[in-house]
Amino acid sequence: MKRRIIFHIDVNSAYLSWEAAYRLQQGESLDIRTIPAVIGGDPQTRHGIVLAKSIPTKKYDIKTGETLYSALSKCPNLLIVRPNYLLFRQCSEALRDVLKEYSPTIQQFSIDEYFLDYTAMENLFGEPLQAAHTIKERVKKELGFTVNIGISTNKLLAKISSDFQKPDKVHTLFPEEIPTKMWPLPVEDLFLVGSATTRKLHARNIHTIGELAGTDPLYLRSFLKSHGLLIWNYAHGRENSPVRPGAIPIKGIGNSTTTSFDVEDLHEAHLVLLSLVETMCTRLRHKGYLAQLVAVSFRTNEFLNYSHQRKLSFSTDSTNEIWEIACQLLDELWQGQPLRHLGVRVGELCQNDFIQPAFFVRDRVKERKIDRAIDEIRERFGAQAIIRSSYLHSGLKPIAGGVITEEEYPMMTSIL
Amino acid sequence: MKVVMQPIEMVARFTEEGLPRPVKFKVQFEGDSVVIVIDRILLRKEEKIAGNPMLVFRCQSVINNLLRIFELKYELNTCKWFLYKI
Ligand SMILES: [Mg+2]
Repeated sequence: MKRRIIFHIDVNSAYLSWEAAYRLQQGESLDIRTIPAVIGGDPQTRHGIVLAKSIPTKKYDIKTGETLYSALSKCPNLLIVRPNYLLFRQCSEALRDVLKEYSPTIQQFSIDEYFLDYTAMENLFGEPLQAAHTIKERVKKELGFTVNIGISTNKLLAKISSDFQKPDKVHTLFPEEIPTKMWPLPVEDLFLVGSATTRKLHARNIHTIGELAGTDPLYLRSFLKSHGLLIWNYAHGRENSPVRPGAIPIKGIGNSTTTSFDVEDLHEAHLVLLSLVETMCTRLRHKGYLAQLVAVSFRTNEFLNYSHQRKLSFSTDSTNEIWEIACQLLDELWQGQPLRHLGVRVGELCQNDFIQPAFFVRDRVKERKIDRAIDEIRERFGAQAIIRSSYLHSGLKPIAGGVITEEEYPMMTSIL
Repeated sequence: MKVVMQPIEMVARFTEEGLPRPVKFKVQFEGDSVVIVIDRILLRKEEKIAGNPMLVFRCQSVINNLLRIFELKYELNTCKWFLYKI
């Protein structure tokens, strides 16, 4: 059998490049990649953390994950841009559309990373290196941002090599190149070697990936358990997971809204919850998930935050059912303080291919049909095309929120 | 040509295939609104920068007895027209 060829495609400073490309397209003359700029938080209140940074921020020693407050103290004229998750999703999907032309097997690994199985595609698009360059140049020209592409025989090595030198580069890391290209690297550059593991390895004088590879695996197991064997195998470049088509698994979906007035009435609070649950459940169904956990949170007019959650004995995607649970949770938690902010969230998601019905819940067939019909009407004619009559004359919005939160697009995951 | 990216009021014709052809537009110039009739479309291309599809038209018109070349953009997601470069 021919050996596998895997590409790892990684967008260079994704959030920042995407925002920069979009601004240039909208006619802005300044490329924010060329000045000290960060994506994250709220530019007005200056609350939040740095999610992505431009290369010129390096001079000021600004780190991803640090607070905007501390970043601003290092660089007072830093440009702060609020993350636009809708734009990020659009860019991520546009990248996927380009990649799809080069292989039927593509896996989204995070919002800005994809794996592409190039095995046996040489006859169509040429040698792997040549194809990777074609892809990289096309993305730059057509979508306006740059990527790094790593090429190898498995996902692990492809991912490590895409990280070699940035931006706008193609690298290879084939098994025969491991001793020269990978072993000299610091051990923390290896996938799944986090700060705790790094500390333990350093304490035992293991500093490079090569030193890790040369260590007795049983010794590693003695202080790192099975994780020691995993990273020892990784240090030798051994990893064989397939490129799994499909989207990245998400942990939860949430929705929240700040009300323009104090909510003090129970009926009103329930209606606000319903308006949030409507959008949230549409997204839940659209993504093909069922929820096994419902959580409610609110903030009072005195800025105190409360939250409450419940694990369900069954799984559901029904708007009515999730709303009823959310109302129960609110009733248990709320003592009538004026509310300024309400939120709902579902978690512990599972695929909706099979539904395990609970004994004592009502017949779901009809409700699912109604939900599906409403989703279709709203998709075709707009969110406001069909609303519940309970909102008539209530002064409340029948559909609220709907912003995409970061949780739905994790930047990092630990499963290859 | 200089990038101006000004939103404009547009009269356009759409073909049976759904392709728009700009016909004339109103643009603000030094406080006055000026109507410019497009004499010729020299080039049409599609771009998808940042995943946002736009049609770009390079056009020519006689403005104040001068032959001018400029570019228009049509943003598909918002149905907005812009005077992109002139
Ligand atoms: Mg990246």
